[in-house]
Amino acid sequence: MPYLRGLCNFCGTGCGHFLRVENNRVRGVYPLPGHPLSKGRLCVRGWHIHELLQTEERITQPQIKYGDRFKRVSLEEAISFVAEKLKSISGQEIAFLGSPRASNEDNYLFGKFARAVMKSNNLSLSSDAGQEESAITLLQGAGWPAMLGSMERLRQADFILVVGGDLTKQNPIIASEIHYAHRAGAELVTISARKTQMAKLSQIHLRPEPGTASRLLEAMAKVLVDEGRIAADFISRYTEGSEKFLKYLESLSLQEIAHLTGVEIELIRTVALKMAEAESAYAFYATGIQSLDHRTMAALFNLYLLAGKLGRPDCGINPVTGISNLLGSYDMGVSPAFLPGYFSVEDKAAWKRLEEHWQIKLNPIPGKSVSACLSDDSSCRVLFVVDHDEEIIRNVKKIKELDLVVYFGAYENAFARLANVIFPLTTYVESDGTYTNCERRVQLSQKKVEPPAESRPLWEILTLMAKALGHNWTYRSAEEVMTEINRVVPQYAGITYGKLRTGWGLKWPCDEQHPSGTDSLLAEEMSRRFCFILNQDEKLAFLPRLQEKDQYPLKLVVGRSNYFWHQNSIMKKTFIPKREYNALLLLYPKGFVEISEEEARRLGLREKQQVRVVSEAAEIKLAVRISPDILPGMLYIPYFIDEMIPEFLHRQVADLEKNEEFFLPVRLEKVE
Amino acid sequence: MYWLEKNQLEQLVKKLAKDYRIFGPRRDEVSGEVIFDWLENLSDLDLQASIPYNPPKFILFPHFEEILKYRYDHRSKKAVIERINLLEPKALVGIRACDLTGLLCLDRFFLGQEFVDEVYLEHRKKLFIISNTCVRPFPQCFCVCTDSGPGAKEGYDLDLTFTGEGYIVNCGSKKGQKLAEELGLKEAGPEASELRQKIIDDSISSFDRFALENKAWISRATNRLTTGFIKPEVWEYIGNQCFECGACSFVCPTCSCFNIEDVNSKTGDTYRVRTWDSCSFEGYTKMAGDHNPRKPVEDRRNKRFFCKLSYSQSKKYLRPGCVGCGRCARVCPGDIGLPNVVTYIRREITEG
Repeated sequence: MPYLRGLCNFCGTGCGHFLRVENNRVRGVYPLPGHPLSKGRLCVRGWHIHELLQTEERITQPQIKYGDRFKRVSLEEAISFVAEKLKSISGQEIAFLGSPRASNEDNYLFGKFARAVMKSNNLSLSSDAGQEESAITLLQGAGWPAMLGSMERLRQADFILVVGGDLTKQNPIIASEIHYAHRAGAELVTISARKTQMAKLSQIHLRPEPGTASRLLEAMAKVLVDEGRIAADFISRYTEGSEKFLKYLESLSLQEIAHLTGVEIELIRTVALKMAEAESAYAFYATGIQSLDHRTMAALFNLYLLAGKLGRPDCGINPVTGISNLLGSYDMGVSPAFLPGYFSVEDKAAWKRLEEHWQIKLNPIPGKSVSACLSDDSSCRVLFVVDHDEEIIRNVKKIKELDLVVYFGAYENAFARLANVIFPLTTYVESDGTYTNCERRVQLSQKKVEPPAESRPLWEILTLMAKALGHNWTYRSAEEVMTEINRVVPQYAGITYGKLRTGWGLKWPCDEQHPSGTDSLLAEEMSRRFCFILNQDEKLAFLPRLQEKDQYPLKLVVGRSNYFWHQNSIMKKTFIPKREYNALLLLYPKGFVEISEEEARRLGLREKQQVRVVSEAAEIKLAVRISPDILPGMLYIPYFIDEMIPEFLHRQVADLEKNEEFFLPVRLEKVE
Repeated sequence: MYWLEKNQLEQLVKKLAKDYRIFGPRRDEVSGEVIFDWLENLSDLDLQASIPYNPPKFILFPHFEEILKYRYDHRSKKAVIERINLLEPKALVGIRACDLTGLLCLDRFFLGQEFVDEVYLEHRKKLFIISNTCVRPFPQCFCVCTDSGPGAKEGYDLDLTFTGEGYIVNCGSKKGQKLAEELGLKEAGPEASELRQKIIDDSISSFDRFALENKAWISRATNRLTTGFIKPEVWEYIGNQCFECGACSFVCPTCSCFNIEDVNSKTGDTYRVRTWDSCSFEGYTKMAGDHNPRKPVEDRRNKRFFCKLSYSQSKKYLRPGCVGCGRCARVCPGDIGLPNVVTYIRREITEG
């Protein structure tokens, strides 16, 4: 077989590629030149996806665990086994952990199975906190939950601001587009405490102290007001809430913020004015595994709104998703906060609408995220999990105590060993499905190789299971599922396989008004006004903790961003990326804490020396890794060492893992 | 030399297809972009198409290839090693001069040294090569800077040059001669040879008009790279822009580095796999005990360009390691393809 056109399934960039298929196995990959976003480029992961796709470490048989041993069974047997158990389970007793790597069709039916068949709203993804926060923030501000601008006009930009984690590692091809725009003349500014590669590529790198990025952005807004550079016409025509926001800005002192963030006023001023002067200005931040907190997102949004850099074709705030279909999973409502199409779970009319579409009575009591179901002493007894691709599994103890864990997956994974029943799934090249990248671009991935005999797409297994539970589900293909999505998810109304087969995907909203998709959010097309987001005050109390310098003088930031792919189970099924990612783990088998050169010198620490990191609540022993990328006064622990979670991070983990703006005050002690 | 009428091309390919699996440039139906590929459908062959996005390297040196199989018997304590039989003979139809030059570099790496690579040899000896003169350069091309085009000089079985009406056919081997004779092609006199040279000269003089993406005056850079007088700041500037994706190596017609991995299958057999590798990766030069002679990214970049352009390395290939195809510039997320690097090196020379 020759090279076949397709799309990469690793991160939320959704690059185009060719896969070389030989004797039903994927033997090579090559970038696809015409793709509108990736334009013939791939990153280190994308260049090795064929290594994953031909791995021997596949789940290929339905299995049921009896005692300690798994027994191979037929698909029918496994389905009737699960269906029998589910008959006595109520909606409160079951939770559904979806996969941001699964297709829209699979995610849609997964959600429908939870809500319509099991009457459960306990439905979430594993790496969702930041994406949910981002969707909520942008819905609040713009009524539009994802990328507001377009990637296609980026190379003509005048100003680009990147806030937070390192896009060159998370979404290298997005970072590459930013880099090319910069090379073509755009001013590039990065805000991050760590000196990332993105920062090295920028003209200006602002390094606020951890936890203060939001204040820095608010200070920039204040500069615009002070210098008379706000977009007054735009604000009065298209926005509401500006009076309150301006009043809030009045209460800020630039001197105070400069002191708090460690960034000089003059630099804050320069960046703010460059942004205001730019005809075409964009901002980027990552969601999901390395996101910002709500306050920073809101501050960024307000800043761009004040400068009038939203609602135009050549401007925008662009959140970037870290996993292939993270955005699509939210579009399909795999979330405790949203129904399919971003209708709020609090919205009674939305439930009614869904009941009409699905022709079934639903349970409108909002559910919880899976991690909430597992960490509480909740009544959860059953867990459904799809393709978990992180090595770390939280709440293992609770999971072991459940009555039933059902795992659906294509690849072998530690989570499968905790399961009672395992269903083998097809990979994204073994069945049709659509995936939505961070641009809102829905792309079709077509079947290229035959799956193992017993493997099925998730939608097919769920259809059989719903039937076994007495529901009249009749889906015969992913395309049929999409025709239902067209009716239920308004943003997807006009997205058809026919259109997707012959093009480069469609950016939602794609409907009657926009039959070929929508490039960016335009103010004149909006049915409502932009809103300044004004819930700053509540978290102000958080800041004075920064001053606690005596007992716990260092700020510990726990990040997954730079090391997420290290701990990724699918990465470990490749050769070259595994080698590259493992190098670091091999050197620090028990984890490390990153510390600046200055701090190491001051404390008399050398590379790989053992230290104790002590917080108010706990302590942990780790090796020192001296890094030029860290500010003095700051420590960085990559969140990928299993034992760290129960031993050290305790209950802080929920907050800490959300984003790198949270920090823990600690001190370092030498281990004698 | 012979003449090949336009409509005889199909005949030639069909005849070749009886004994060979045909590879050649085809257009992707959605993007319209050109890829060098196995042609299931012979009519997909498009000799007028622009330089393919991928070099034909993968046909002899695949991205991922099982090169042998073994099984260890625990009872007898013996390993049974099995050679993997390679595919049928292959024909590369319409390979561009730069890519053919690249292939000859690969030959020198895999076959021309102390140890002959048997797997590569298997692929190589069953190959039929038909080159295609670039009568007009493409935007990314700079083969005139690297002496590797626009017309092929050696290494082909047959060489085609399009005249607008038909092709001038040059035979480069007995195999090629035989095929031309069997097809009953019309013999051409010395005027064909002159015409071919004129077409190539015209192509060269049109680089200024058409090949505008890249320029790489490599001789000064070669001098600088060989003597090692390039300032560390230049490498650092280049290194900061490297995304460490490996693409430059993967798309390079002359890059030959590979990795070996043994993969246990569920049947109990172990497959030895060879995959492409790249000097841009940190793990590539990593040694035991955390030693790495090329740890910083700029050292790794520096190594790649040393390999492509230094005199000492060029002696091994009998030419520079760059063939001027411009692919590394197109696939690079950091915009540090070889032409840009040469520019940065030359800029430093001029700036003193």
